[in-house]
Amino acid sequence: MNAFLRFDPVSRRDFAEKLAYTALGVTLLPHLARAAGKGAAVSPESPGFGKAKRVIWLQMMGGMSHIDTLDPKTGPSKGPGDAIQTKAGYQLGGYLPQLAKNHSDKLAIIRSMTSKTGVHSSGQYLMRTGYEPRGTIKHPNLGAWAQELLGQSSETLPSSVCVGRGAQHGNGFFPAGFSPLPIQDPDAGLQYAGFDTSSEVMEKRFALLNKVDGGFRGKFQDSNLKAYTEFYDNTLQLLSSEDLGAFKVSDEPSALRQRYGMNKFGQGCLLARRLVERDVRFVEVSYGSWDMHNDIDDAMEERGTVLDTALSALLTDLGERGLLESTLIVLCSEFGRGPQINSRNGRDHHPKVFSTLLAGGPAKGGTVYGASDKMGHSVADKQTTIQDFHSTVGHAMGMSVDEVVMSPSGRPFTVGDKGEPVFDVLA
Amino acid sequence: MKTFALRLLILTLGAWTLAPGLAAAAADAESTAAPSASTSRFWTDHEGRKVDAMFRGVKDGNVFLQTADGYVHRIPLDRLSREDQAIARTMKPVGVGIPSDPNVAQAAMAIDRLVAAGLKKAGEEPNPLTSDEQFARRVYLDLAGRIPTRSETIRFLVDKSDTKRARLIDVLVSGEGINSRLFNYFADMLRMADDAQKSKFYQYEEWLKDQLAENRPWNEVVRDMISADGKLLKNGATGYLLRDKGMRLDNLSLTLSTFLGANVACAQCHDHPFADWTQHQFYEMAAFFGASDTYNRNAARNLLGSLRNDLPRQQYQRAKRILDVNAMFIRDTAANDLTLPNDYQYQDAKPGDMVAPKLIMWTGDDRRLQAYQEADNAMKRRDSDEPLRDIFANWMTSPDNPRFAMVIANRMWKLMFGAGVQEPVEDLDDPSAASNPELLFHLADEMRRLKFDLRGFLRVLCNTQTYQREAVTKEIQLGESIQFAGPLLRRMTAEQAWDSCVTLAVGEKVDAYKLRRAAAYTEAMNIDFGSSSPAQVKVALLERIGAGGKPAAKGKAKKKNKGKNKPNPEAASPAVAEMTEESDEAEAEYAKPEMFGSLVLARASELPQPERESHFLRMFGQSDRQIADSNSDEGSIPQVLMLMNGAAQKVLRDPRSVAMSTALAQEKTEARVQALYVSFLGRNPRPEEMTDATAALADGLSPEDLAWVLFNTREFVFVQ
Repeated sequence: MNAFLRFDPVSRRDFAEKLAYTALGVTLLPHLARAAGKGAAVSPESPGFGKAKRVIWLQMMGGMSHIDTLDPKTGPSKGPGDAIQTKAGYQLGGYLPQLAKNHSDKLAIIRSMTSKTGVHSSGQYLMRTGYEPRGTIKHPNLGAWAQELLGQSSETLPSSVCVGRGAQHGNGFFPAGFSPLPIQDPDAGLQYAGFDTSSEVMEKRFALLNKVDGGFRGKFQDSNLKAYTEFYDNTLQLLSSEDLGAFKVSDEPSALRQRYGMNKFGQGCLLARRLVERDVRFVEVSYGSWDMHNDIDDAMEERGTVLDTALSALLTDLGERGLLESTLIVLCSEFGRGPQINSRNGRDHHPKVFSTLLAGGPAKGGTVYGASDKMGHSVADKQTTIQDFHSTVGHAMGMSVDEVVMSPSGRPFTVGDKGEPVFDVLA
Repeated sequence: MKTFALRLLILTLGAWTLAPGLAAAAADAESTAAPSASTSRFWTDHEGRKVDAMFRGVKDGNVFLQTADGYVHRIPLDRLSREDQAIARTMKPVGVGIPSDPNVAQAAMAIDRLVAAGLKKAGEEPNPLTSDEQFARRVYLDLAGRIPTRSETIRFLVDKSDTKRARLIDVLVSGEGINSRLFNYFADMLRMADDAQKSKFYQYEEWLKDQLAENRPWNEVVRDMISADGKLLKNGATGYLLRDKGMRLDNLSLTLSTFLGANVACAQCHDHPFADWTQHQFYEMAAFFGASDTYNRNAARNLLGSLRNDLPRQQYQRAKRILDVNAMFIRDTAANDLTLPNDYQYQDAKPGDMVAPKLIMWTGDDRRLQAYQEADNAMKRRDSDEPLRDIFANWMTSPDNPRFAMVIANRMWKLMFGAGVQEPVEDLDDPSAASNPELLFHLADEMRRLKFDLRGFLRVLCNTQTYQREAVTKEIQLGESIQFAGPLLRRMTAEQAWDSCVTLAVGEKVDAYKLRRAAAYTEAMNIDFGSSSPAQVKVALLERIGAGGKPAAKGKAKKKNKGKNKPNPEAASPAVAEMTEESDEAEAEYAKPEMFGSLVLARASELPQPERESHFLRMFGQSDRQIADSNSDEGSIPQVLMLMNGAAQKVLRDPRSVAMSTALAQEKTEARVQALYVSFLGRNPRPEEMTDATAALADGLSPEDLAWVLFNTREFVFVQ
């Protein structure tokens, strides 16, 4: 263990605070003031408003087949797996047996999602931000929106973390400090979270660093350059946190880790639980390889099992800790997959209809909202856009979807891009 | 006023001959727009004749004057009037100095003129020219993909000649580093990954490296990728299509946006109100690939069926993997099987209709272009066996394709200047919307004139004054039209940052290690289906997985090599490891990379593609190679933690690193400070920095701490 981590938490915190002040000329927690002033009033009439104190956002990258997971079909579009009847009355795809057996009463499924974007990159952007990508602006994800509208959620941990991906599609036009802290590999956690030298030396290094780099930082007005300076600032703040251990899934009992699944998604979900437990408001766990153009049976067998195991463990674990009521779990993907099994035994991209899932928090368990047609090809009932979906989650988090926020360039934006919250899936 | 009869004065040696037709242009110098007033003046020869020209320097008794047409003339000094001779001897040359090639200088000036016009229109001024220090660091990073070593910097700074900038550019465009730099760029653009489709793409990677090392024309490289046939294990060029095996629509969508800047992302599924292309047009383009099959598992399937029961599970899995890899090949079938999707919703055709191939056009006049004529003719006489795909490849990479040259020119511009003349570089459907359309069209023409010689093109760009100006200091908003008063301030790419760390650690040996994995992988995996009977294939397969046959030769080879140290840090599978142990020839090709603990100190291009998630490269923004052009230059907390506490800073602070050991070899504190400044930032410390640093070193900090400080400056990771 390095010198920094050997300090007891209090002196480490003191040290980091002092360092932040001497090195950066800032006091810690500049954003706390926001939290006090800006919290929106909870409106008791609208269902679910503000009941999701935290969100775990599970994004399946590549396009998760709705027909093989949340919206099983019979007839020609049926996949290789057989649907499972749940106690809640609806069916789930055959690759999700644990969810079907143990958790159907907790799930609110939207089967009438629709989008026009059949390309991964822009589809993922849209699903994360609620906006179509444009060359002239970067849009924030819901974690950054919440940090703007509701304030910082933790004193020393970031308000927003993303697991299994980089920090893109994050802060958007909000300050760089609102971008989610990226943890690429949940097993590795937050690496290098301690100095390998004494605090005296570290202080002197920072003092010299700011002297020798001051001229360069002053010369350029580049926003990315300024963002770096902010990241150094935020990093020193984070190092003062008593909750740094939150990033270590290895501290969990091995039996529990096994229950989530010893893979990146399983451990990512476990990490998400550790983080929301310590007041990180918004944690995204991304998981790839859902782009099943070829041999969907093999691929679903593998991916579906990972998803089923991790999500089931997460629901149980949060329930046992009494966190499920205040934690909203979101399962989504940039689009679905086509009803037709192609010549390579796979399915191709299909944005026209697909499914998402909410659970926990204010989600109305045991609900199926909207429907696709018999083939799983088009929306048959209650069309729901990605903007509507974002508005729903944003509303559940306690953000008014009518509140207009101006970007620094003077353009107006809202949570969910003027979508309508789906109140029927909230309680 | 009389004008020089320049033709008579010009020496006609080597490149320094007057280009045909330029004598007249020189004579017209007065009537053409003059170079910027501050840098040009009238020069008088000993007979009293005058020419308006920019002074580029004096060397070996010759004066170099650039006339308004951009050409740089070499004139014996003693031909000038006495007064002008004196001026030439003392005058400070225009910052970019004497060019190494007058044609390059002329091409560079044409670009500078268009940039100047754009700046003028926007009411902006060009930035001043950079210092030599800034120029050297920038051009090393841009062309060699890494910072210069301390001795490279010093060598450049002490060189007092007026030719040094052009010479350095020449050295770097013909050096080793540029191969890494371009590979890293294209690996991001092409989503190059070691692992895809359950196979290793080593052949593809090494094929691209070879093309870049040979500096093959870009259009030929791309044509080979689109028209490649055969097996991934044997022909690396097939990697482009096989990367998206079984996903030809997605592959085409990327092809069109990556190489032609056609915004077809929406057209794959539906017509888009704001984009130019319809879904039907997209499918017409896809029809060129309708007879090309990248999904070939049938041969393997039959064999596998018979093995499933015969083999233990583990061996069966290995057999399956080997067969999967061998099924990675492209062949063209007789029939185009492309049909419209089942949900096709427009009036012009019905779902499920067959689609005939047809090329997109950006304007109605495009059809007259040779690229279209040739494609038309080829399609008319298509009883021959020229695959449709080849017709498409020829059309797409033709010099007069309306977008191909423009897209790569714009991309290369972005590589050097930090932003494209038009952004995003994947969408050039409307070049009139570029920040400077004339410049964009001119760059496309330059790319054609240079016959898609990427190094030649970069050489021209680096020789412009625009490139050699100070970086833009103002904040640039996303989507803002950029007029390039100078290059933009850029954060180093992940690869530039990593390769710079490696440079600091190992110095000039930075390019020594080359990763080569393809030959061994092919040897381990390849099974010749074509000329073998099913029984022979089965024997070969069983031998590969160690489940049959008599691997006598193998055993012998193994024994022979036992105990030898085989540096092969990336052995892909047991089979590959085995095969690399067998091959003495392969062994000779491996130079051992420098190691620091378990960290391989080799250039990013010679490491796994992409690196593992916890590696410096990924944490600094290297793409995961899932999405095209997705390297990131954004900061994050984990990244800052890594810069402050991670493995890289540990390497650089280690006394064994070249930067550190050079500094420690100095006795005086000032000399140590200076050595570290030059190593890390490519410049000498300013007096106040020297004072601060020496004071800090007297107050408990070590030179190693100063290395940490310099590494953590914004000045280190941003390229100005």
